Amino acid sequence: MSDTLLTTTGLAVSYGAVKAVRGSDLEVKEGEVVALLGPNGAGKSSTLRAIVGLIKYQGSVTFAGEDLTGAPTERIVSMGISMVPEGRRLFPQLTVRENLLLGAPRKAKIDALFDELLEKLPILRERLNQQAGTLSGGEQQQVALARALMSKPRLLLIDEPSLGLAPTIVDAVYQILADLRKTGLAMVIVEQEVMRVLKFADRAYAMTTGEIALQGRAEDLLASNEIKKVYLGGA
Amino acid sequence: MDALISYLVNVISLGGTYALLALGLAVVFSVLGLINFAHGELMTLTGYVLLAGILTGQPFWLAVLIAVLACGMAAVLMEFAAFRPVRNASGATLLMTSFAVSMLLQVLFQNGISARGQAIPVPPWLTTSISIGNSQISKVQVMSITIGILALIALKIFFDRSYWGWAIRAAADDFEVVGLMGIKASRLISFAFLLSGLLAGIAGVLWVVQRGSVDPLMGFKPVLAAFIVAVIGGLGSLTGAVAGGFILSAIEIALQTWLPAGVMPYRDAITYTVVVIILSFFPNGIFGKRDQEKV
Repeated sequence: MSDTLLTTTGLAVSYGAVKAVRGSDLEVKEGEVVALLGPNGAGKSSTLRAIVGLIKYQGSVTFAGEDLTGAPTERIVSMGISMVPEGRRLFPQLTVRENLLLGAPRKAKIDALFDELLEKLPILRERLNQQAGTLSGGEQQQVALARALMSKPRLLLIDEPSLGLAPTIVDAVYQILADLRKTGLAMVIVEQEVMRVLKFADRAYAMTTGEIALQGRAEDLLASNEIKKVYLGGA
Repeated sequence: MDALISYLVNVISLGGTYALLALGLAVVFSVLGLINFAHGELMTLTGYVLLAGILTGQPFWLAVLIAVLACGMAAVLMEFAAFRPVRNASGATLLMTSFAVSMLLQVLFQNGISARGQAIPVPPWLTTSISIGNSQISKVQVMSITIGILALIALKIFFDRSYWGWAIRAAADDFEVVGLMGIKASRLISFAFLLSGLLAGIAGVLWVVQRGSVDPLMGFKPVLAAFIVAVIGGLGSLTGAVAGGFILSAIEIALQTWLPAGVMPYRDAITYTVVVIILSFFPNGIFGKRDQEKV
């Protein structure tokens, strides 16, 4: 767990005059699960979107020793970063199978990986030929996770995995994430369910108004009152 | 019965051409959020290349093939030269660029070839008719229906079975997330223009062979119809483009066939009134998304 996988330095994102992220420094190590916390508008999703090259930013991003600053999304994905966007954002008109196959590199040999994912997420096997837009929220989240795994990432960015899901379904999603963690996959999880993700993550960063207000081991943050201050605006 | 057969033949023939044209618009709209009004000039270009092929003694089928391929290449070139430099600009800028390209090509055709229409010498075997009951159907229409249906079937297979077909359908849903699949945006856009150009080429061949001539301003009416078709179906919806093509064709041919002669001058006005009524029930088109953000 000592090798650094992802580093952002001075990462800043602006939307016109609005500064969404004001120079955040993040670090994720191999196999580590990092939570990114904060109230709405704190800059969490913008941070993830900048890392995968969906939006322009200032600062730098380094992944597995390579400078990915300003790199196009397809290169970042090919380097081993994959993302489950907020709200899943499956392609609703496409079948589950088509969604999954689009997630894999075009010429990759994916039969074994495809079977392995269906083994882990058996519900998908029953839904393979169903349009993704007709699935339940929990099933869609499983498809979104599986689709992101089709590129065999080393780092998975997950934006709000519990959004809009019933508590029992959230439990199932986190069980899947726990299984993925055992494979050594590093994760950055943006999550509104603070207590749940702090119990799951190794480390956490808490953002307010675009800046990192707090960081540390997840269990330490869970035990302290500091995280509450972040959400109440007192940090 | 004969009137019905004749009506259906005309609807399928024209509807297939509209569907191919509207699909070409929809494919580009899916990836770029642009209604490419220069699509009509791609049809015109197809007509001129077809004419050149025939006049230089190529077999008809080869002239058709060259014309369609040339149209596909021209669409890729158009994207590279005109749209790529303004790709991240606003929808209005993209739209203005498409009008500029359209005008530029019209002027080039007028000054470089001729402002007057040029007859397309179709082979004699295409000028005869076949009989179904008491109805006479021209072989041009038979060819038009056959090619139109085959092209739509081929497209259906392409969109359902191929990686790039999925990618374009996915782009119609969410272009940004297609990037997260590791697909290079510029490659997908180039591919969409190639496909759009090939569709314009096929539609262009059907159009000029049916009308028997090509002229510099020929592309305006069909691209306007294709735009209306795409709007009826739902902008960006590939299924909607096909459905809209046959709906507009059914309306136009019905009015053409059964409207009293005294009201015939109002045919287009009535057609578009019906379109507006349809849109009042389906504001985003029949297969359109509820919230349409692209321009």
